[in-house]
Amino acid sequence: MASEALKKRKPKVIRNEGGTPEGKRGRGEGEQDSRVYNEEGELEGRDPKQDYQQYKDTCAALAKLMAEIQELKSNGAKDGSVEIEERRRQSCVHFMMLKKLNRLAHMRLKRGRDQTHETKQKVDVLHLQLQNLLYEVMHLQKEIGKCLEFKSQHEEIELVSTEDFFTEAPAEISRPHITKEDPHQLTLARLDWELEQRKRSLAQQYKTSLASKEKIEKGIEVKKEYLSSLLPGLQSIMQASLPLQEYLSMPFEHVQKQAEVAHHLPPPLYVLLVQANAYGQASDKNLSVFISGDVDEAKALSKPPEDSQDDESDSDLEEEQNTKRRRATLGGQLDDKRKEMLKRHPLSLCIDLKCKGLSLCIMIVLHLFFYFLMNLNILTVKTKVSPSSQLCGAVSAGELLNPETLLNCLYASDHGRETPNPANRYQFDKVGIATFADYISDLGHPYRWVQRLGGLQFPCDSPESAVTGSALSANHMESTMKLLRGRLQARLALHKQFISLEHSMIPVSAECQDLFPAKVLSRLARWTTITFQEFVELPMVQHVVKAGLAHETDLFFMAVLERGTARLQAAIVLNPRYPDATPLYSLSLLWKGERSGRTDDNLRAMESEVNVFRMELQGPRPGHQLLTNQLQRLCMCLDVYLETESQVCDGVEGPREFPREKMCLRTARGPNRLKPFKYNHPQGFFSHR
Amino acid sequence: GSRVRLCVVKMGPVEVQFSLLHMSVYSQSFSPCGRFLAAGNNYGEISVFSLSAALSPDASEASQKPILTFTAHDGPVFSLLSTDSHLLSAGNGEISAWSWVELIKRVGVEHLKIDVSLRTSLEIPEINTMVLSLKDNSLFVGGGDNNIHMMDLETGVFKSTLQGHSDYIHCLAVREREGELLSGAEDGAVRIWDSRTGRSVHCVEIYKYEECSRPQFGKWIGCLATDSDWMLCGGGPSLSLWHLRSLSPTSVFPILGCQRQAAFYQDLILSVGEGGSLNHCLLSGEVKAQIPCTPPCLNTLALNGTEQRVLTLGGSSDQIDVFTNLSYRAFSLSF
Repeated sequence: MASEALKKRKPKVIRNEGGTPEGKRGRGEGEQDSRVYNEEGELEGRDPKQDYQQYKDTCAALAKLMAEIQELKSNGAKDGSVEIEERRRQSCVHFMMLKKLNRLAHMRLKRGRDQTHETKQKVDVLHLQLQNLLYEVMHLQKEIGKCLEFKSQHEEIELVSTEDFFTEAPAEISRPHITKEDPHQLTLARLDWELEQRKRSLAQQYKTSLASKEKIEKGIEVKKEYLSSLLPGLQSIMQASLPLQEYLSMPFEHVQKQAEVAHHLPPPLYVLLVQANAYGQASDKNLSVFISGDVDEAKALSKPPEDSQDDESDSDLEEEQNTKRRRATLGGQLDDKRKEMLKRHPLSLCIDLKCKGLSLCIMIVLHLFFYFLMNLNILTVKTKVSPSSQLCGAVSAGELLNPETLLNCLYASDHGRETPNPANRYQFDKVGIATFADYISDLGHPYRWVQRLGGLQFPCDSPESAVTGSALSANHMESTMKLLRGRLQARLALHKQFISLEHSMIPVSAECQDLFPAKVLSRLARWTTITFQEFVELPMVQHVVKAGLAHETDLFFMAVLERGTARLQAAIVLNPRYPDATPLYSLSLLWKGERSGRTDDNLRAMESEVNVFRMELQGPRPGHQLLTNQLQRLCMCLDVYLETESQVCDGVEGPREFPREKMCLRTARGPNRLKPFKYNHPQGFFSHR
Repeated sequence: GSRVRLCVVKMGPVEVQFSLLHMSVYSQSFSPCGRFLAAGNNYGEISVFSLSAALSPDASEASQKPILTFTAHDGPVFSLLSTDSHLLSAGNGEISAWSWVELIKRVGVEHLKIDVSLRTSLEIPEINTMVLSLKDNSLFVGGGDNNIHMMDLETGVFKSTLQGHSDYIHCLAVREREGELLSGAEDGAVRIWDSRTGRSVHCVEIYKYEECSRPQFGKWIGCLATDSDWMLCGGGPSLSLWHLRSLSPTSVFPILGCQRQAAFYQDLILSVGEGGSLNHCLLSGEVKAQIPCTPPCLNTLALNGTEQRVLTLGGSSDQIDVFTNLSYRAFSLSF
């Protein structure tokens, strides 16, 4: 708008509207103020209603003029005619009026808006002020509320009543002239008085208790001196009573000492001690229990072991991280870890079992040393038999009483080569132990019966028994002790028999003479012990190996029986549980060719005679005669075999090497023509089974 | 299978293993339907196996075990024979009859026991062989008393005794068409008997023939088989094929071990014995094949005649080999 450009404002756009005389005039002259056509000022003077009316009138007039022009034109008047021009001029004027009115309307609107805006701003400012004040009021109100609610601790202290206070308290404290007026000061004074009183009484109490303490201490001193003077007297009495204890066989002191040390035993060994002692007292006078080892170390161990466990796991981590870098020190670390894992508790138990030896006057003692491996939570046992001088008589008996293998398979398949605790597997993996068997010679055997005696139950054992601890130990104590005794005696008996066998004599006891005829001509030529390796390579035992009846824990022997030119070889598998388990024989005969139990039905029958008929051959309980009776029966069967075998060469019955001496009813029977191997007593003839 | 043991002694697991190690199977017999096999051993036990279970496609180790085991006699069971309803088993001087229907139902209860009265003063002789003669419905029993006893199956009464051998009877064979019985014994003789008259018609001493005799093994005849005009016999002497009308050996088989059982099968001759192999022989005298078996010595050979054609072999072992194809062992049943 041209008028805008003229006002004293920042000119935004100078509109170049040509043809408006006011504008030109305005820009051209310097005195713009006096010549300015101030439309805005004019605005105030005019009435909007009037303007509106004027607008309507102008519009109407314009419309009228247009209509007239239209009429004239349609009546055929020319464009340049005077009337049309006149009217055109008039309509132009009207147009200008309309424009002015439009301007005015816009200006009014703008002004109105500006005013509204200003007022609104003022209102906002006031509103904000109001809000601020309201907030402050609220805040102050809250503060006042808090102050009013404040409870001071002093209100919880019970104070004497005001009258008493005034009567009792000294003047410096009560200060009645101030306090009577001022309640604040009164309360303060009362508190002061309270403090004073308490101080006085407490001081009193302290003095009295101090005095009594002194008195009591003195009394204790006196008594202590008295007791220490008693001690030497008691010791001398104990010493004097020792011979009396022994005489009356009530070894109190020994038992007491043992009980003292026993407190430091690890739980499984403690259970074993208690149960063994109980069993010994109740049933077995030849059983005694001793504790050995370092008690101080055991005491030191009773500190909680969590630190060492943490260290272990930390150093494991370290180990894993360091493997790539430092291989040289790894071996040393592992070794130490292994040693730590396999550590034994410093205390161990020794149980001694006494048995009658080879000759009745000498007692053989079976020493059992029980150790507890703390980190693996298993018990192990080492054995010793004494006196060892009694035990060297037979060369082949070397293995019989070998302490390493003596207790193998006390219960069936309890080889004691692996740890019975399945958790140990994980522990071993951490430190690279492949198998426990490598450490057995050092640490002892972890037999299952040892764990049971210590009350330790591991999942692989028979699942029926849910007992653990003392009950488990008690259940097995008697049977295990009996088995141990039985084992030792069986081995001693075998040892004695082996001495005879090595001198080519089969010792047959008086009770078993009836099993055999009076005259047996085949004799034992050789008796030797062989290893598992040598046994497995023999051709005649392959069926035994295939049936899984020969194990590394068994003992193997070779017996050679001879008569004339015939040689019978017997390979024997002796299960450690002899005589509860029957020795197994496999035969091979060298006589005019080689035959074995596999190729010759009669040799097989002979094998069956000694292997299957244990009930006949075991003799009186506990069956120590089994092996020797088996050997004697073999000799007898060999006799029958050789004497009943037809000897034909070149189509003619030749001279018999072995004349028929045994009485047989029939020499052949059945489809495989078996010989009569069964001896009948007292008639003395041989028959078939 | 269930083990019904009549002995009082309780056997531990190792003792059971020992007894299995020393077991010998002496006799076999198929059930009338052919689906079951009964086997007798040296402990006097009889085990019944289900062949149909063992041969089925989903057979497991358990199906190779017996469905029933029971103690039938005091002594070894040297002979088993099936009629169309019963299993006959021979013990020391006695024959027991067991119903097949009951056995299949796993019930080992004796139906009948017949005492063959062979007892002497000191011991009871064994019965080694039993054969049926369907023509005159009789059972021939040969045993340790050197005689053959003939029993009528209807009445269960012993009608006659055929005497003639000087040592115990090993084997018997029946020639149905001619009504004759052949017997082989420990004395080395094969006798041909007329079953009606009960008299020995012929007596052939095999060991006297040079081509067959093997003096180093003995003269005893362990096995006999007959097929109309032909006879197989062997034992101490070599296994040989004889023409019965002319009573002369036509072929001698070069098999080393002493044979304990032989049979004609289609155009082959099958035999088993010491040496532990099943021998396939041709009538010409040639040994076509020798197939190794589990037991080192074989005692018994049995062929099934029904739809499941199998051959089973037993001997000095607790295992019984089963052949579905004659050329190789398929699997073994075990006691």
